[in-house]
Amino acid sequence: MLEAAIEGLQGVLTLQSLSMMLLGVFIGSLVGFLPGIGGPTTLAIMLPFVMVMKDPVPVIALLVGIDAVGNTASAFTSILISVPGSSGSQATILDGYPMAKRGEAARALSASFIASLIGGLIGPIILLASLPVLRPLVLAFGSPEFFVLTLWGLAMVGVLSGNAPVKGLMAGILGVLIATVGMDIKSGIERFAFGEPYLWDGISLIIVALGIFGVPECIDLASRKSSISEKHELGSGFKQGILDVFQNMWLTVRSSAIGIWVGFLPGLGSSVADWFAYAHAVQTEKNNRNFGRGDVRGVIAPEASNNAKEAGSYIPTLAFGIPGGTSTALILVAFTAVGINPGPEMLTTQLPFTFAIIWTLTISNIIAVALCMAFAKPIAKCCFFPFYTIVPLILVFVFIGAFAAHFNHYDLVALLIFSALGFMMRRHGWPRAPLLLGVVLGTKMELYLWLSYTRFGTEWLLRPGVIILFTLVLASVLYPVWQNLRRSGSDTAEAG
Amino acid sequence: MSRLKIENLLFTLFVAGVLAGAVQIAREWSIRASIIILVLGGIGLLLAVAQLVLDFRNLSSTKSAVALTMEAPALETSSRWGSCEVWVWILGFYGAIHVVGFPLAVPLFVFSYTKVYGGGWILASALAAMSWGFVYSLFDRLLHVPWPESLFSVMIS
Repeated sequence: MLEAAIEGLQGVLTLQSLSMMLLGVFIGSLVGFLPGIGGPTTLAIMLPFVMVMKDPVPVIALLVGIDAVGNTASAFTSILISVPGSSGSQATILDGYPMAKRGEAARALSASFIASLIGGLIGPIILLASLPVLRPLVLAFGSPEFFVLTLWGLAMVGVLSGNAPVKGLMAGILGVLIATVGMDIKSGIERFAFGEPYLWDGISLIIVALGIFGVPECIDLASRKSSISEKHELGSGFKQGILDVFQNMWLTVRSSAIGIWVGFLPGLGSSVADWFAYAHAVQTEKNNRNFGRGDVRGVIAPEASNNAKEAGSYIPTLAFGIPGGTSTALILVAFTAVGINPGPEMLTTQLPFTFAIIWTLTISNIIAVALCMAFAKPIAKCCFFPFYTIVPLILVFVFIGAFAAHFNHYDLVALLIFSALGFMMRRHGWPRAPLLLGVVLGTKMELYLWLSYTRFGTEWLLRPGVIILFTLVLASVLYPVWQNLRRSGSDTAEAG
Repeated sequence: MSRLKIENLLFTLFVAGVLAGAVQIAREWSIRASIIILVLGGIGLLLAVAQLVLDFRNLSSTKSAVALTMEAPALETSSRWGSCEVWVWILGFYGAIHVVGFPLAVPLFVFSYTKVYGGGWILASALAAMSWGFVYSLFDRLLHVPWPESLFSVMIS
């Protein structure tokens, strides 16, 4: 094992591999900073170039480098302009952006980078260590358990919308229904497409995210006619952000573990980890009333989680050849093309390649965080630019990001529709996070539910795993409601 | 009864209508295509009824809207007309993309917006040039993005 680890490290530390890794980190960071152009798009663009390469290690260095750092850099846009740079940084907006508006952008950024670093370091360590433990558990999960697991995620985010649990749950269901739009290949039925070919492929998650979050924030900023930050000072928050992470180390570790677990579950990956970690933080942390209003723990949890998730998604990819997400699916294609055969061999004959991946994940994260820390202050200063320099640029980013979904004129129409929906939701206090999560989970939920129904009829509801998970769903829904009722009861008693 | 509360009720009615419409349409489909819509849509409809009851009760209440834990605060009602102004700009940008195409609409929009709200000529021009340079270099030259045909290009061709 030690020999393989050294061999893997030697392969990564060659000039060619290091150059490729630096290139990957640079591209990954740039892509993370540009809303709408996600990691999968970049990996897809890179595939034709890497497939002609003979040595697998530089290919690992480049692609894993791109994949590992996208979520670190995407915190810039999530925190500074409330537009998620990648799907893994959506939850960061909820507290990161209010912090930026309060003049604490530097603190939020440094906290997010250090949390990302820790998540990015814990992930690779767990990657190998957890394989023998987690494998039997995942293999024991069937489609019924996966369905209830996704339902649990949706219910948690829905009810954690503070005092509006009904609206939160409805928003989540609306999101699932949006995910069903398009041609259902299995049944051949055109669902909610109304004869429009554009809708046959469904509605892009990027467009929904940009419309629901990007445009309403932009409208708010433009309406107030001020700069993004309501306080024109950076303060000394940069060091405080680093300290915040160490003061909340246990939360960082727990969030990283959630990220690894979500990444590990095949197909669940991508944009769910940050929401799960955020919901976990809100539910488990003391003094949680400031979540959603600029609590640094709301930045730490999703950022640690989304970076750790990347390592987690390599576990099923390497061990079983089942990609944990879109990015790992593309990397799997490249691996196969350059002679790496994902599967049990990755733990035997190809172990040095596995270590090369782990080293790349680790080193890429360190480089990316160092770069982001070095340039955080200059970029954070864009908070102080007057609104008329920021608003048009954000809108241009949002429009281009939406158009990049399918390069179709109707992408922009869809953006306008979801912007109007996001605007109305925000205006009337409807939580938008559950809607987005519903869109993310919708397709998987439908598949798991259908598989459960066809394989077990209604008997799947009686499976022990399902009963346990359903109990957790009910507890997640009812506990916050009970807490709210108790709180309002004590408020009434105090008032009396 | 405030205008915002009535708007709130109407928005809940709209969401309830969407859910009811989705369930109604899905009833015609096979179970394979409709299972998730019927199961979750049904639950959604029950929740919508509960929310409508809450909204009706809220109409006569003097309490203000509640704050949310996982959500940015609701938009201020005073910004209503300011919001309309921004919507005009957004729709204007969308219209410009149709008329002159993406590569020209981007600098045109950035320049106009910056200039109208107080930016100087140099700043507005620099931002417009920067945005055009970004769109042209990355999307046009590097990625060869197929921009949609504009009315302007159709007219001159």
